[in-house]
Amino acid sequence: MTSKNVHVKIDEMKTSTGLIKNLEVSIGKLVNDNWTEPMGPTPMPSLTALRDWDMKLLNKYKPFYMPDCDLCCLCTFGKCDLTAGKRGACGLDIAAQSSRIVLIACSIGAATHTGHARHVVDHLIEKYGRRFPLDVGGLNVKVEAPVTRLVTGIKPETLGDLEEVLEYCETQITHCLSAAHTGQEGNNLDFESKAFHAGMVDQVGMEVADIAQISTLNFPKADPEAPLIKMGIGSVDTSKPVIMCIGHNVVPSVGIIDYMKESKLDDKMEVVGLCCTAFDNTRYYDRAKIVGPISWQLRFIRGGFADVVVLDEQCVRTDAFDEARKVHAPVIAASEKNCMGFKNRTNDPADEIVADLVSGKVPGVLILDPEKVGEVAVKVAKQIAPIRKKMNNLPSIDEIKSLAKTCRQCNLCQRSCPQDLIIPAAIKAAAEGNLAPLTDLYEECIGCGRCEEACPVKLQIHSFIIKAGEKFMLEESNLCRAGRGAVQDVEIRNVGSPIVLGEIPGILAVVGCSNYPHGGKDVYDICREFASRRYIVVTSGCSAMSAGSYRNEEGKTLYEEFSGGFEAGGVLNVGSCVANSHIAGAAIKVANIFAKRNLRGNYEEIADYIHNRLGAVGLAWGAYSQKAASIASGFWRLGVPVLVGPHGAKYRRMLLGREDKPEDWDVYDARTGNKVNVGPAPEHLFQTVETPQEAMVVIAKLCIRPNDTWKGRSIKLSHYVDLHKRYYGCMPQDLHLFVRTMADVPMTLKDEFTKILEAKNWKETVIPDPTLLPRMIRKMKE
Amino acid sequence: MSMFKDIPVDVGVIYEGERIRRNDMQVELGGPTVKEKFELAKVKPMDEIEDGKITIIGPDIKDLKEGGAYALGILVEAAGATLDQGLEGVIERRIHGYLNYIEGFMHLNQRYDIWIRLSKKSFQKGLNSFESIGKVLYRLFKSELPIIEKVQITFITDPAKVAELYPNAMQDYESRDAKARGLKDEDVDKFYGCTLCQSFAPTHVCVITPQRYSNCGAISWFDGKASANVDPKGPVFAIDRGELINAEKGEFSGVNEVVKKRTMGEVTQVWLYTAFDHPHTSCGCFEAVAFYIPEVDGFGVVNRSFKGVSVNGLSFSTLADSTAGGRQIDGFHGMSIEYMRSKKFLSADGGWNRIVWLPKEVKERVKDFIPKDVIDKIATEENATGVDALKSFLKDKNHPVVARWAAEEAPAAEAEALEVKEEAAGTMMPVATAASLPIMAGGFKIILKDAKIYANKVIITTVKSEKSEKR
Repeated sequence: MTSKNVHVKIDEMKTSTGLIKNLEVSIGKLVNDNWTEPMGPTPMPSLTALRDWDMKLLNKYKPFYMPDCDLCCLCTFGKCDLTAGKRGACGLDIAAQSSRIVLIACSIGAATHTGHARHVVDHLIEKYGRRFPLDVGGLNVKVEAPVTRLVTGIKPETLGDLEEVLEYCETQITHCLSAAHTGQEGNNLDFESKAFHAGMVDQVGMEVADIAQISTLNFPKADPEAPLIKMGIGSVDTSKPVIMCIGHNVVPSVGIIDYMKESKLDDKMEVVGLCCTAFDNTRYYDRAKIVGPISWQLRFIRGGFADVVVLDEQCVRTDAFDEARKVHAPVIAASEKNCMGFKNRTNDPADEIVADLVSGKVPGVLILDPEKVGEVAVKVAKQIAPIRKKMNNLPSIDEIKSLAKTCRQCNLCQRSCPQDLIIPAAIKAAAEGNLAPLTDLYEECIGCGRCEEACPVKLQIHSFIIKAGEKFMLEESNLCRAGRGAVQDVEIRNVGSPIVLGEIPGILAVVGCSNYPHGGKDVYDICREFASRRYIVVTSGCSAMSAGSYRNEEGKTLYEEFSGGFEAGGVLNVGSCVANSHIAGAAIKVANIFAKRNLRGNYEEIADYIHNRLGAVGLAWGAYSQKAASIASGFWRLGVPVLVGPHGAKYRRMLLGREDKPEDWDVYDARTGNKVNVGPAPEHLFQTVETPQEAMVVIAKLCIRPNDTWKGRSIKLSHYVDLHKRYYGCMPQDLHLFVRTMADVPMTLKDEFTKILEAKNWKETVIPDPTLLPRMIRKMKE
Repeated sequence: MSMFKDIPVDVGVIYEGERIRRNDMQVELGGPTVKEKFELAKVKPMDEIEDGKITIIGPDIKDLKEGGAYALGILVEAAGATLDQGLEGVIERRIHGYLNYIEGFMHLNQRYDIWIRLSKKSFQKGLNSFESIGKVLYRLFKSELPIIEKVQITFITDPAKVAELYPNAMQDYESRDAKARGLKDEDVDKFYGCTLCQSFAPTHVCVITPQRYSNCGAISWFDGKASANVDPKGPVFAIDRGELINAEKGEFSGVNEVVKKRTMGEVTQVWLYTAFDHPHTSCGCFEAVAFYIPEVDGFGVVNRSFKGVSVNGLSFSTLADSTAGGRQIDGFHGMSIEYMRSKKFLSADGGWNRIVWLPKEVKERVKDFIPKDVIDKIATEENATGVDALKSFLKDKNHPVVARWAAEEAPAAEAEALEVKEEAAGTMMPVATAASLPIMAGGFKIILKDAKIYANKVIITTVKSEKSEKR
């Protein structure tokens, strides 16, 4: 526990050892350091402290730029044309500009999570006090904040301890963002290194936010059996007043749920959520419901289900208010970061605000006191529900059929659709009385509404799709496991032997937003495929919702079919966006638990350990946001490969290894100091994939690591080969790069492998104790 | 799949762990509804084996009615110049592994408890004869265990024949177990080392002896022998145990040499049968940890799946953290549950006579191996949840450790005091008091007048007094 600005004044004190008069002691910071772990080399690393490590990774995985825009318009010298090797007015070329945008995106992402953490921590300290102890998993979690320990060297024990951690994050994010100013950093790799830095800081900010809320709000604590939560609008009793919370910050929702319980209205109302607030609501209150991912905001507001819409922060549609107004649902903005232009009514009496909202005198208000948000939202919902009668803003089937006739078939809707959905044909069919093609679009539509903006005759195309798919929407009723938070230390110990022996071929983290190319079913299919293959599958955020939105032949959702434990074939939902930190945390804990590596301020060594040993892959199939960019970036710096779906190409660059360049794949064998070529393991650090089939093959391959035992490697290769044969119809042709000794060859595939190995002139090599850091080479002790 | 071209379904390790539900199954072989079933491996002289012969006694799969459950015996008879009966168990366990590689073929359990299901899908693809199953087994045995030079496989579905052979199989298991348990470290000249875990814990090496399983509980001395035979360059290797330096502690010159080499000199001396001075190291995936409790001069044991805190107030994760990572930590010992069934279980420290506490679940699992005169004197979480309660329990029952107490009363009290102090520091931390100011003086008189002291940062650490060490 740490204290700041301690000031002691003693006018006079007599003791047996001495006399003290007018003593004043002023201490900037008082640190209670009972943590015996020695401090590593980089506590609270500066912008450049880990630059050498970044360059090692960036040299191995060189940025491959795919500029989404080849102009720069950030200063008034511009716009500058950066095509064909041209430099801008400031001297920047397209590589540096692209990486600069990556840095800006990652800084925004890190700032968003850290700002979120700051709001949560400040609020919780006010409510529970600085000395409130942190507890993320009771006895089974010894390392309570692995990312924080690793990065800052601080072992936080109380809420108050998190403040110092946040100060560090805030400083670093400011530096990161400032480096993007015109005329600061100019080299693309330095921009990349700073983007890694922002990503690392982001993981700390996320961890702070989540451990603060887990500890105080009594969320599930590293619980593999966290409750199953109802999900989908079909699980909501819409005859009751419904409060819909959208965003990421649970604090206002806690106000709502508490007030509802205090007023004994919890049986008479529904609190539902979209995006991460939905998750954190259900971690707080297991009767809260999840209605869907971020992309379904328009769907549910227009559907009229919500009697009150409460907006907090992040990923909230900025037109949510206009949309809610059309269905006469009052809106409460509850975050400083998202005021929506409303008048600040924080200091007004609650009943006055309620009256104004119910009467329609004002359609929306800003309330920055979460408890008042609770009271107002509950009262308004109760009073307005009988008046609104779930008024919706969807056309009738007949209206669709007749409006569709005004379509000019200009194709602008399809051109503006990020999914390239064949909307014109569906509208044409509707005009002819056939709604089936529109219904088919329901599953694939990601709800952005760009089609409507593009339409020259102002057709409410998105509403058409929702109406046509209404039957499916109303039937959506699935189960999602409540976010469990961290992975227990004991669970990690349990999987040590099966990972070493290859029974668990790898760890797949399916995370991030829902900007999917073909709906959420792909996420479900990928999770199920790998859980069935006994990989550990970790989910979070909107992907965790999609994973629970489909059922198997027996009618079970993924979370019912597979265990929620960190074990072979487990499917764990860690929770909301900020819970992603627990995924990094689990990886970090492996190094501490099995190799007893110190974590404290020891980032480079641990990243090197994870990169070379831990067969983990992140998949953000529908990543869209700047937060998703910074989350990915945090994993890059740890050396964990990340895959994104096709929209991820718009993140402007990939980090690709070159399997054709053997010199890129040397590691040191820590036992001998010899350089050993370990092949492209893992092959890429950041990669866009186009189809779920391609993703599955790549995931299996990216789980390969230089330290694999022969048993582990042979099983990893079996899965790679099996998926490759299934989806490409042939054996992969790069197998020779992954076989060290014949024992690595899967026993049932000896003949096939032998043919390839012979053709490629394969030679046996050794399995090293791999590291990229010369300082980790061990010397024989005498 | 050229190796299995003539098998109607796919064969691969990816099918391991595949589950076949009742509705999807063509037939069940063995399982809970069938009383007599078994699988057995026998090592035979070369001239008694016809290599590659597959025999089916009784109806074949295609003749079994869909949806039914049937008796089954699987007999694998192998021969090889370096094969001995000690490896029968290892060969037998491979049956489980190999059969599970067959698509749509689920094999659970082992020995007299086997439970097999064949899926309808695979049956429809043409997997309708034990001939195919036998071919898979045969080819995998030959390619994976080159020490097997000849092997013949028999499937028995005739219930009368299964019933006839069943008692013999049971007798074989029993005598094999008795022999394995009777095998002493002194009886062999080779131990086995395992460095599989070095992929995650680069400084740990496991020493596996007939009387000491690997820490993870997955590799016995027999497994080690088979692995080292098959792949001498692999991560499981033979250790010439060398000279017996200390019979009581379990120190062998060959073990010291190999451990020194494999840990790059981090560990130079290993005593196999004690948790003190030079204990065997641990990776991180050991099944249980034995921990010294100074207050009672005995050992507690806590296993990984124990959810609460052990008797000294610490959880498994905290205790495990004290010993993981290939280090030798006095008084802490990571180990397998199976090691607790060994006569050499911490024998230098007094063995079971020194064990004072263990979770009920573990006690139940190993109860047949705890000496009768001490079993009721060992507390579980039901008898004691704190050191004080443990003390009175042990005293009450007159546990053998009680005899050791008389001479050591004083230091035990000191250790207790220390614990209280640490706890106090953890729960409250005065921001600043006069006592916490760094004014330390002995014999001097200090006068501070109008003094102003500024510090950017003051770090306070608890000063720990040296822990009392006891043997």
